[in-house]
Amino acid sequence: MGGRLSGGTAWLVYGITACVMVFVMAPLLVAISISFSAAPFASFPPQGFTFDWYRQVLVDPDFIDAFSFSIGLALASTVTSVALGLPAALALQRSNIPAASVMQGVLLSPLIFPVLITGLALLQFYSAANMQQAVVNLYIGHTLVTLPYVVRTVTASLQLVDRSLEEAARTLGADRWRTFRRVTIPQIAPGVAAGALFAFMVSLDNYPISMWLSDARAVPLPILLFQRMSSVFDPSIAAMASLMILVGAAAVVVLERLVGLRRAMGI
Amino acid sequence: MEIKSADLALSGLTKTYGHSLAVDNVTVRIGTGEMVALLGPSGCGKTTTLRMIAGLIEPSGGDILIGGRSIVNVPVHKRNIGMLFQSYALFPHLSVGQNVAFGLEMRGVRKAEAARRVTDALTLVQLDHLAERLPTALSGGQQQRVALARALVIEPSVMLLDEPLGALDKSLRESMQVELRQLQQRLGITTVIVTHDQEEALTLADRIVIMRAGKLEQIGTPQEIYSRPVSRFVAGFIGASNFLRGHVAGSDGGTTLVALQGGARVTVPTQAGASGEVMVALRPEAIQVQPFAGQNDAAPNTTQATIEQIIYRGSLTHLYLRLDDGAPLLAFHQNRAGERAPAELSPGGRVVARWTEENNHLVADR
Repeated sequence: MGGRLSGGTAWLVYGITACVMVFVMAPLLVAISISFSAAPFASFPPQGFTFDWYRQVLVDPDFIDAFSFSIGLALASTVTSVALGLPAALALQRSNIPAASVMQGVLLSPLIFPVLITGLALLQFYSAANMQQAVVNLYIGHTLVTLPYVVRTVTASLQLVDRSLEEAARTLGADRWRTFRRVTIPQIAPGVAAGALFAFMVSLDNYPISMWLSDARAVPLPILLFQRMSSVFDPSIAAMASLMILVGAAAVVVLERLVGLRRAMGI
Repeated sequence: MEIKSADLALSGLTKTYGHSLAVDNVTVRIGTGEMVALLGPSGCGKTTTLRMIAGLIEPSGGDILIGGRSIVNVPVHKRNIGMLFQSYALFPHLSVGQNVAFGLEMRGVRKAEAARRVTDALTLVQLDHLAERLPTALSGGQQQRVALARALVIEPSVMLLDEPLGALDKSLRESMQVELRQLQQRLGITTVIVTHDQEEALTLADRIVIMRAGKLEQIGTPQEIYSRPVSRFVAGFIGASNFLRGHVAGSDGGTTLVALQGGARVTVPTQAGASGEVMVALRPEAIQVQPFAGQNDAAPNTTQATIEQIIYRGSLTHLYLRLDDGAPLLAFHQNRAGERAPAELSPGGRVVARWTEENNHLVADR
């Protein structure tokens, strides 16, 4: 894979890559640039330069509530997803449980169903079960859609672990638990980290589930953003969006430092 | 390094998967300090047998004894077994030294003593200067030597080698075989090696166990297996062999006369129970080939033939002969320095093939 491309193929590949980068990055750059715009309404290109919108947003109690609620919700559902997804992936991959592939399909199914429909179904289920705690409902709903990401990445990294490593550890005197802790975990750590990162990001910017399950007190940031956009579309919304982008970027950097994300993504 | 090794006994060891028998009633005694090779084609049950000894597969029946004590109910991590894998199975996140120390750490050996034993073990495989490296920075041969040090440092009762040199290239494999054998003999450690490479089995093992379709086909020293194979399968698996069909035409004390289908006759040292249709195994290197000189020789262990093909193979020349009844016969001619196969021998030429009685050996036709 270390080879360099040359000639016409190279230009084609570089061209396509550049286009993809532009389409991925440009909207983010637009949002970020608007957040510094001095104009009273969000418009592009931005006019002037100011930090006023950040000053305004960072003291806005609605924003602070929604932001910290979203971070808390994302952390909680990520931790739960890892706590549930790691043993689930191990069971699917390492023990001869009956109908493992069916179980895996069920666990991964939230990835396939339209999230909007999942949210609506959850809403109906909660109301039938008379569950009215929006915070709890959101937490369960977010965990439901983030769990498959953890199961998926951990299963994939378990598949890549050479089974003879675990067997070697066992012949050398490590019981199952110590083999898991000393040999399996270090091998799959990047996969777990990647799964956790996906889970965190999916929860952080989830709209379709939160739309159904939030109430007046439990408002995740994407819901707040949408509410604000429908009333006044000023650059403060771009500032909030930029702060979300910043959180996502920070999460990537931290994980890269901790376990090496390149390894986790198999690059 | 001192290792207190123990003897190993497999008694009626059996493994079934559903209705199929992967290992079928295998009984072998392996003496203390002995090295035994389990040899056979893939799917013969040799690896399953080894993994049952290690405790990685649970037997369906039979017993495994180390030093006279049954270990079938002892979990893997308490069996005190050193195992080498074809993939080396070094922990990629640990340094060479930490890899070797792993087993000692699991046994709660004190740090200072562990460090000394790790150095000793790495010195034994001549890699003490690489203790700080990560395994991925080593060559295949070095990695397997680290794995060897890691297995030996725990002073295992028994060593199990699962095609340990299969991933190495030929010349490195041969030098590693010699090194492995010397170390095994010096430490006097009871060892079982699984291989499908007959030369590896001949080089390394005190005794060879030939397995076929889950069953034990023959046990013996390399010489016994090579010179007195019990069946066509064994004779064909270890080295090359000719198989001559015939029937018993008479017996005279120590010698049985066999009339071959093509008319030639061979004499065989009498083996118990030989009668009727039999099969004679004859090693190609036992056959001397000379140009046909004109007179018919009716003596046993002689036949006329036509050369079909001559292949020069360095130390040997392979002569592919065809008997008059159409049966093939393979003969090896030893090439000596400055000497070539006789010039008269060329494809299409008539020759006389001769060998002596002790090279004939009756085998079961299976």
